[in-house]
Amino acid sequence: MIRSIKFWVGLTILSIFIFSSFGFALFYDSDVRQVQMLYDDDKNLIGGAPFEPSLMFPLGTDPLGYDISQKVLQGAKFTLLAVIAIGVFRVLFSFIVAIPFAFYLPEKIRRGLDQLLSSFYFIPLTIIAVFILSPILSEQLSAEGEEFFLYTFTERIGLEVIILTFLVVPLLGSMIGNMMASLLKEEFIEGARLLGASRWRIFTKHVIPHMLPKLVIVWCQQCVQVLIIFTHLGYFKLFFGGTDMDFNPMMADPPKSLSNEWSGLVGDYYIQIHANPYIALGPIIMFGIAIYAFQLIGEGFQHHLQTRHYKKEKRDRMSRKQNLVDEPKLSFDFMHKRGA
Amino acid sequence: MRIIKKLFMQLFLTIISIILISGLPELIMNKNVTMYFQKIKVVLFDVIHLNEMTYMNQGKQRLFLDDIWSPYLYSLTILFGALAIAFCMAQLLTWCTLIMPMFIRRAVKNILTFLESLPDLLVFALVQMAIVLIFKKTGILVSNVASLGAEDRIYIVPIVCLMILPFVYFYKMMILLSEEELGKSYVEMSLAKGMRRIYVLIVHVTRNTSEGIFHFSKSVLWFMISNLLLVEVIFNIHGITHYMYSDFRPEMLAACLILLVIPFFLLYALFEWTIIRLSRRGELI
Repeated sequence: MIRSIKFWVGLTILSIFIFSSFGFALFYDSDVRQVQMLYDDDKNLIGGAPFEPSLMFPLGTDPLGYDISQKVLQGAKFTLLAVIAIGVFRVLFSFIVAIPFAFYLPEKIRRGLDQLLSSFYFIPLTIIAVFILSPILSEQLSAEGEEFFLYTFTERIGLEVIILTFLVVPLLGSMIGNMMASLLKEEFIEGARLLGASRWRIFTKHVIPHMLPKLVIVWCQQCVQVLIIFTHLGYFKLFFGGTDMDFNPMMADPPKSLSNEWSGLVGDYYIQIHANPYIALGPIIMFGIAIYAFQLIGEGFQHHLQTRHYKKEKRDRMSRKQNLVDEPKLSFDFMHKRGA
Repeated sequence: MRIIKKLFMQLFLTIISIILISGLPELIMNKNVTMYFQKIKVVLFDVIHLNEMTYMNQGKQRLFLDDIWSPYLYSLTILFGALAIAFCMAQLLTWCTLIMPMFIRRAVKNILTFLESLPDLLVFALVQMAIVLIFKKTGILVSNVASLGAEDRIYIVPIVCLMILPFVYFYKMMILLSEEELGKSYVEMSLAKGMRRIYVLIVHVTRNTSEGIFHFSKSVLWFMISNLLLVEVIFNIHGITHYMYSDFRPEMLAACLILLVIPFFLLYALFEWTIIRLSRRGELI
């Protein structure tokens, strides 16, 4: 059982987001309320959209009167599940790549390969992602004046997940590979080898139990990174699942997110930063909360790993201390003590 | 000699991977592998003949290299400035924090975890809003919130925006590494010999954590180059990534990224070389 408060707080925040989002879809059919004008009891107009954050609208409304907090609630499940999935894929594929890297390559080649792969440190992910994803996610305008996507909805999501996954596999793979290689140099592995354990046995009985907790922490870091990339992509109007562009030459609507997922909300509302800062900040703050939740999970888990044997040890030390106090009495005693 | 050879291999591979990646949008758009390789060939040709590469500026064909130097240097100033300031401030504050009592350190670490999770876009937005707010309240314009064109250069705002998060990352990493280092026996030994805590901290602990920080700074830089694009687009700064973003051709992407990567690559190679030499010398003694 994990006894870290941080871990449970983080996990609770995330699960509240996801479950309430599903609940909203299930019970209210994800119906975002729209309030364009607000009257008091005597039918006097007291305000019009956009509204500032208040008890009625926790995050305010956008200029069309849609409640942003409900939009955020509707989009939470898409964003967070996508982030979790991409994080899992990243760690999983990197782990698979890392296995031959650590087990079969000789030390010299591995170090050389590691050096070569570190060249990926100089290729900034956001820039590449913006360039690669923009033909996939933006709606295009054909010669006949029709708006179309190059790929279907599922293809777009699939491609985005694949691209965001494989862009980091070289770096992450070499990182996990190095972790695994240093694990393989430990003495107990040597011992297991001497006792005749096969590679498969060492892998399943020693490497996997040691690597899994570390991979959980790496997963948290990756999720944070994916969330940050989502905000960036949102700013560049590349929304998860596709951007609905309006090519109308007269008064074109701003690019719209298809599902109210969070990066879409960031992209939609960031432009309002000077006029209605609260509207623009709301979705970004939600991203901040999600990132904080993942950080808390990671830190809490790490704390758990460092202290999971702590209580036992403490008791041991205490009992040993008592033994130490007891023992001298048995062997010998100072004369003056006895006299007093 | 071997190090130089290795470095060239690494640089070569970086450039190759940039070129291969820059062709990917073409592959996705046309779903055609041969087109992709043709595009790669074009990009490769353009990168090799960089001095003949052209781009469109206000409807006119212009030589790429003629125009890129000044925005390139401008971007580099912002990046280097932000990196240097973030690093120095983090180092100073680390020293200050580590002579503080334990409960302050723990509080600082918790605050840092919180700050670490601020999305960069939120930081930029808050900086923008803060400047407007200060201007509204006091009438003092700290700095322009956006640059007005290619001639107008703003430095303070982009550097501040770029440095806040790297500063937090460095600060946290330095505290963690130094605390680990402080638990080692040589620190106890030197304290027992009567050396001042601050002396041990500045001279020995900092030197021993520097290698870890150096490796960590690579990922910070990686993050900063991505942020540079955002900062330049948000504040309408005509730096190198602005060219990259407004042109949006694979050739342009490859050329700009390669230009951006080379100085940092050389800098890191230099650092790595000195660190290896220093640690070797330590081993020999």
